[in-house]
Amino acid sequence: MSADVIATSPGGGLLVAAIVVPVIGILLLWLVRPRAVEGVALAALLANLGVALAVLRTVTSSDAPVVYLIGGWQPPLGLALRSDGIAAVFMAMAATVLVPVAIYARGAFGEPGERRPMVFWTMLLAITAALNLIFCGQDVFNLYVALELLTFAAVPLVSLDGSRETLKAALRYLVFALAGSVLYLLGVAIIYGAYGTLDLMGLAAIRGPDGALLLAIGLMTAGLAAKTALFPLHLWLPPAHAGAPPAASAVLSALVVKGSFFIALRLWFDLLPPERAVAGSTLLGIFGAAAVIIGSAMALRQARLKLLVAYSTVAQLGYLFLVFPLGLGSGAAPFESTAWTAGALQLMAHAFAKAAMFMAAGLVYEAIGHDRIAEFRGLGRIAPLTVLTMTLACISLMGLPPSGGFSAKWLMLTAALGEGAWWWVLVIAAGGLLAAGYVFRVLVPAFTPPEEPIGRVKPVVVAREAAALALAVIAILIGFLPLAPWPLLAIGRIAAGAP
Amino acid sequence: MTPDATLPPFVPLLLALASLFPLGLLALTLAFPGVRPRLATLLWLAPLPGLAAAVFAQAATVSLPTPLELGLALDRPGALLLGSAALIWCAAGITAPAWWGEKLRSLPYQAWWLATLAGSMTVFVAADLVTFYLAFSLVSLAGYGLVTRDGTPAALKAGRVYFALAVTGEAFLLSGFVLLSIGAGGETRIAAIVAALPSAPLMAPALVLVLLGLAAKLGLVPLHLWMPPSYGAAPYPAAAVLSGAAVKAGVIGLVRFLPYETPLETLGTALAAAGFFSAFFGVAIGLTQRHPKHVLAYSSISQMGVIAAVAGLSLAAGRAVAPTEIAYYGLHHVFAKGGLFLALAALSMTGNRGRAALFWPVVIVALGIAGLPLTGGALAKLAIKDALGSGWPKTLGSLSAVASTVLMLHFLTLATVVRSRDASAVAPVAIRAAWWGMALASLALPWLLLPAVGGSLASALAPSSLVELGWPILAGVALFALLRLWRNRPSLPPGDILAVIRRGEPWLARLSNGVAAIEGFLTDWTVAGAVLLLLALALAGAML
Repeated sequence: MSADVIATSPGGGLLVAAIVVPVIGILLLWLVRPRAVEGVALAALLANLGVALAVLRTVTSSDAPVVYLIGGWQPPLGLALRSDGIAAVFMAMAATVLVPVAIYARGAFGEPGERRPMVFWTMLLAITAALNLIFCGQDVFNLYVALELLTFAAVPLVSLDGSRETLKAALRYLVFALAGSVLYLLGVAIIYGAYGTLDLMGLAAIRGPDGALLLAIGLMTAGLAAKTALFPLHLWLPPAHAGAPPAASAVLSALVVKGSFFIALRLWFDLLPPERAVAGSTLLGIFGAAAVIIGSAMALRQARLKLLVAYSTVAQLGYLFLVFPLGLGSGAAPFESTAWTAGALQLMAHAFAKAAMFMAAGLVYEAIGHDRIAEFRGLGRIAPLTVLTMTLACISLMGLPPSGGFSAKWLMLTAALGEGAWWWVLVIAAGGLLAAGYVFRVLVPAFTPPEEPIGRVKPVVVAREAAALALAVIAILIGFLPLAPWPLLAIGRIAAGAP
Repeated sequence: MTPDATLPPFVPLLLALASLFPLGLLALTLAFPGVRPRLATLLWLAPLPGLAAAVFAQAATVSLPTPLELGLALDRPGALLLGSAALIWCAAGITAPAWWGEKLRSLPYQAWWLATLAGSMTVFVAADLVTFYLAFSLVSLAGYGLVTRDGTPAALKAGRVYFALAVTGEAFLLSGFVLLSIGAGGETRIAAIVAALPSAPLMAPALVLVLLGLAAKLGLVPLHLWMPPSYGAAPYPAAAVLSGAAVKAGVIGLVRFLPYETPLETLGTALAAAGFFSAFFGVAIGLTQRHPKHVLAYSSISQMGVIAAVAGLSLAAGRAVAPTEIAYYGLHHVFAKGGLFLALAALSMTGNRGRAALFWPVVIVALGIAGLPLTGGALAKLAIKDALGSGWPKTLGSLSAVASTVLMLHFLTLATVVRSRDASAVAPVAIRAAWWGMALASLALPWLLLPAVGGSLASALAPSSLVELGWPILAGVALFALLRLWRNRPSLPPGDILAVIRRGEPWLARLSNGVAAIEGFLTDWTVAGAVLLLLALALAGAML
């Protein structure tokens, strides 16, 4: 009835640290002097990076997942934290994105002691904890709690400046995310009612093509799709991501939407019997394809950089959902498939490139006082590092080599063509062309010298430019990883050993 | 880097420098504004490692350690194209400071120039798919900066067409590359892939996609739309490197990716047909053009059509020697076409004085493209003789020489009016010297390289060869004289069917508005809520 007995593995304590470190950070934020808040937050994020890298190291060196049983209780009675290969990689990715974001955000929200910096840093650390919990959570209700924490930490970031417009965007986001939560919770209730357990490993062992499980996963996936802004459930994303302050947009676009996507990935790849996944995964793929095409076409129309970048997120999230049909439809072990690695690479490349892009958009605003693309002439001259950042990020977004975006596109095309699924190839190719179009619209005026000399509106802070640039450089460096399925991503996947 | 054991250690280094030196200069000018005035006069140095590599580094390979599966390699066909491309870049680099003056000291000029150059050099030495795709993309996309260098509305318009076709070509190329790699079991080294190609599954679709990508670069009809407006808009030194060097990224693709050792009749014949169609289409539309730059662009379309036809016929017949012949034909075209753009630069800055010394070489080089006996172009035509063989391909080959003669005579009549308004003006010596150098290269280098590509001097000078090459020229002259009698010849805009396609622009705007309307509908609260519920039911239903 239940899964094999599992035990805390060496290094299991690291998983507790991954959740406790940001929480301690939050507590300290409220205890220290206002001036020390930024320092504390940065220290907590650096410690979090250290923990995440240590987890990744442990997983790679032991070639097995890291597990911690809370209180030593076996699931389903107790709670387990478990980091397999993909969780370790994503945890390290998120931790790496967060540090430059924090460096970028220093001093961006007015004087210490005000409401806004306190809210921002608290929520940033809360997002960190929530993401870590999502990546190594093993219990569908536990994941629900993490998901809610993520949502409630993300929503205030949208309305940080308190304007009417951003409040409206935040409210939209909140209501839609809660609708998603309701569907997810409904699924959790059905699972509990039917199986009496919420533990993913336990469920994987007893699963079968039950109506209850399938109904539950259907409801939960729809809820998660709403939170991930899968087209056509994306109505909240462009105003929220374009309205938030740049540092917040970077986190929302790069990381927060990936949290709910990750849970969907777990449900489909760990729980769902593969033979039942075909029709549903095709449906998700179709919505993903629509996201790629319509999101890119909308990005092409935008007059403002931040909205363009936000619609680009809608499109890039669409590619992620192509992993479902490509990974589950091949018949091969999904975790060793090309599509699985392609999806992971796409998620990471997009995280780094998009965070860099939103931060660059903020720097553009500081340099010239607006983000109207039509008036970008001369940007290259007054903000060269920012334009370099945008260029590198765009190279990854449009999938030129060498970049993470290129590797992801290459592997995704390999997966699609290998299965003879040429319709997905058409979508990927069309998305690439449209991306080239919106990138062209941004970069060409930025490269063009001004007609008359223009000056900066605000002086440049080199550390902030460097933070954005570092993220863009990482997006490029991911492109130097080998173009083949990544064994690391298959470590410790539950279904790999299950019948 | 792992150097080849049989070669001196500096040789593989040269290969790496061919692409890294221009990139290094690019980094230098990006980072240090102080070097720009000096660099402006030294741009001609940037392609020299490429030239040295072409001369000394044949059969060298460089591969980076895993997991970086990037590699460089040079063989004879690659060296022919690399060396000739380096020379036109060098000549254009000598022309550029004299043509642009102070402007060349600014970043955009130097950055676009060096980025395009880096891509142009690397594409000839790329040994794996990713490096090839990177170099191909770099030379294509950075070329946008050269096309639009003048910043006029016409140039920006031409640039958009250029960019659109460049990314379209790259999309084809990428899909084709992925299929090639799948067919060879995940391999990315080009040599290994092509060796395994005849037995690979999905070979035909892979090659068709690659060829479509290359066709966009070569300007094969109907993917030629970008070429006439782009060469027309690009300043002369830029047009020289785009037409001379950058287009050869497509030629090296024909050399690298087609498995000439195995006859592929259907694909080869289709490519040959497309090539010949471009060869004649280019001439026919070229004759309706009124600016010599546009005529040269259509001549490129026609000449690249001839190269594609040669590649296709060789593929159909399984001729393993085709890569060298194609590269040799391409080498002459680099000097001739790139040189003629430099000649136009020189003529446009020259009044009456010293004009003859500039113009007569133009006549010889232009007719050389049609195969005027004893010129380098004649040797290029002889090199592809075997590929054309006998029967209809041979006839079409000769007819294309007749057609080229007519087009080049049309070009020469237009070139006579390219002159400075100032009757006493003389072009700067750098520009004149660069043109004379390229004219000399197009006439002499094919002779010097003839033994290296296995040609024989005796057969090149045989009376039968002279007759074979001579009659199309004479026929072309006669045809041109007849054509002159036709008073109201039609005049078509550069880019021909582009004008028709542009009429679709409002339709495109309507499509975009339609997307926005759909988006507006879906972002309505009630709709989105209903969609969410439907999705939940649909997902559950799909699984049940």
